[in-house]
Amino acid sequence: MGAWGFVFLAYGIVWGAILIYWVTLKRRLRRAETELAQLRASEELQRNAET
Amino acid sequence: MDFLNQTFLLLRKDLLLEMRRRESLLTMFFFGTLLLFVFHFSFDLAPERMAEMAPALLWLAFLFTGTLGLAQLFDAERGNHCLEALLLSPMDRGALFLAKTAFNFILMVLVEIVVIPLFWILFNLRSWDVIPNLFLVTLLGTVGFCVLGTLLSAVTLKARARELLLPLVLFPLMIPVILGTIRCMESILRAGALDDALPWLRLLIGFDVIFLTVGVLIFDWVIEA
Amino acid sequence: MAEISTNSAKSKGYLGGLALISVLLGLYWGLFRAPPDAYQGEVQRIMYLHIPSILTAYLSFFLVFVGSCLYLWKREKRDDILAYSAAEIGVLFTALTIVEGSIWGKPTWGVWWTWDARLTLTAILLLIFAGYLMLRSLTEDENRAASAAAVLGIIGFLDIPLIHMSVYWWRTLHQPPSILRPDKAPWDNVHPALLTALVINFVAFVLLYFYLLSQRFRLGEIKEEIKARLLNRDN
Repeated sequence: MGAWGFVFLAYGIVWGAILIYWVTLKRRLRRAETELAQLRASEELQRNAET
Repeated sequence: MDFLNQTFLLLRKDLLLEMRRRESLLTMFFFGTLLLFVFHFSFDLAPERMAEMAPALLWLAFLFTGTLGLAQLFDAERGNHCLEALLLSPMDRGALFLAKTAFNFILMVLVEIVVIPLFWILFNLRSWDVIPNLFLVTLLGTVGFCVLGTLLSAVTLKARARELLLPLVLFPLMIPVILGTIRCMESILRAGALDDALPWLRLLIGFDVIFLTVGVLIFDWVIEA
Repeated sequence: MAEISTNSAKSKGYLGGLALISVLLGLYWGLFRAPPDAYQGEVQRIMYLHIPSILTAYLSFFLVFVGSCLYLWKREKRDDILAYSAAEIGVLFTALTIVEGSIWGKPTWGVWWTWDARLTLTAILLLIFAGYLMLRSLTEDENRAASAAAVLGIIGFLDIPLIHMSVYWWRTLHQPPSILRPDKAPWDNVHPALLTALVINFVAFVLLYFYLLSQRFRLGEIKEEIKARLLNRDN
């Protein structure tokens, strides 16, 4: 493997891994935000029902 | 002086318990000796290479034996809410830390007193005169091990897979002690004295002092019922 | 727990944008603008990743330490979230540092791995980070997990200088001189033309790190709020 081969291997792995981590993080965040929104909405409903 | 009194009382309690049951001590003795046998079968130990290999093998044996002791360190307090009772008492928790560290230290030293001569016999070593110096270095290393080990044993008390987790978090942090003691022991075995290993000795002592202090100060937050 | 304002969401967006721009700039400078190194050739470009990575990893550990200290002192959940978020991203950057170092090592020293001081130290750092995260996830009670991890974070951070010293001495005191011994750190005597690329990439990594950290932190906060609301509802 030539010198540039090693360079691209390193750059590829690093930015690939960071990208994957960022995408999974975004996904986890979205899922959590939806869950929180649902919880808040159901609490609102409960509070309105009680008053 | 109250602090030292508390430490001594707690240490005395653990020692009394141990003298009656001898669980920890016996298991540690057997394990240490067993390791020596396993090493003999696993490694082809030519007499010329003993100076390099002996410290490493001895320390491997002590590390694993010591971990065994650490895993059982707080067993006395497990049942009957003893730990909660201890923590509720108006006692300085640093004293509990010192007492437990000293207890594990005593156990390990007792094992080392037997294992080192046993090693010399089993592996046909001649250099019996270096053993006192070697033993002193081992003591320093054992202090470092017991100090960090007690801290981490308390920290992992309520974790799952504790027997695996404790060595996992402990061993990387022990690297200065492992490197330091082995280098010092190598120097003693090769030259009879510590001349070229003095920086390592200072590192060892520094390690012991730092984490002994940190342990006493931080143990309040380490141990919670 | 306080509601997350849209202002902070906006500033996180700016941070992300800034990080992206500097990363692209860094790529351009590192791969095109900077000349190849006189001794190492093109392979030296990996250093534009490696040096910022390891510095970011140490920054991460420092944040773990700060979060741990604050948590033990004030017992506020957000300090714990800071600590484990920094640990998680720290693991990522430390692992990447090892990979980069290994790939750089192959053409330079001929081997994928060597127990030289730097690689060994980075591997140890990874082990300590990983131990921190494992301790956190294996401890059952949430509060106990947080304080246990905090203690480990503090002890680990205090130990790092000692580990550094011991590993460096070990690798340099009795090592016979050979081609395989890189006793010169790759960032010694950096040529000014390469320095710009290094600095740009370093800035890029730091911005990227804080962006990722802020997102991870937010995830932690949301999870905390979810837990609190579920707990409330059950009562």
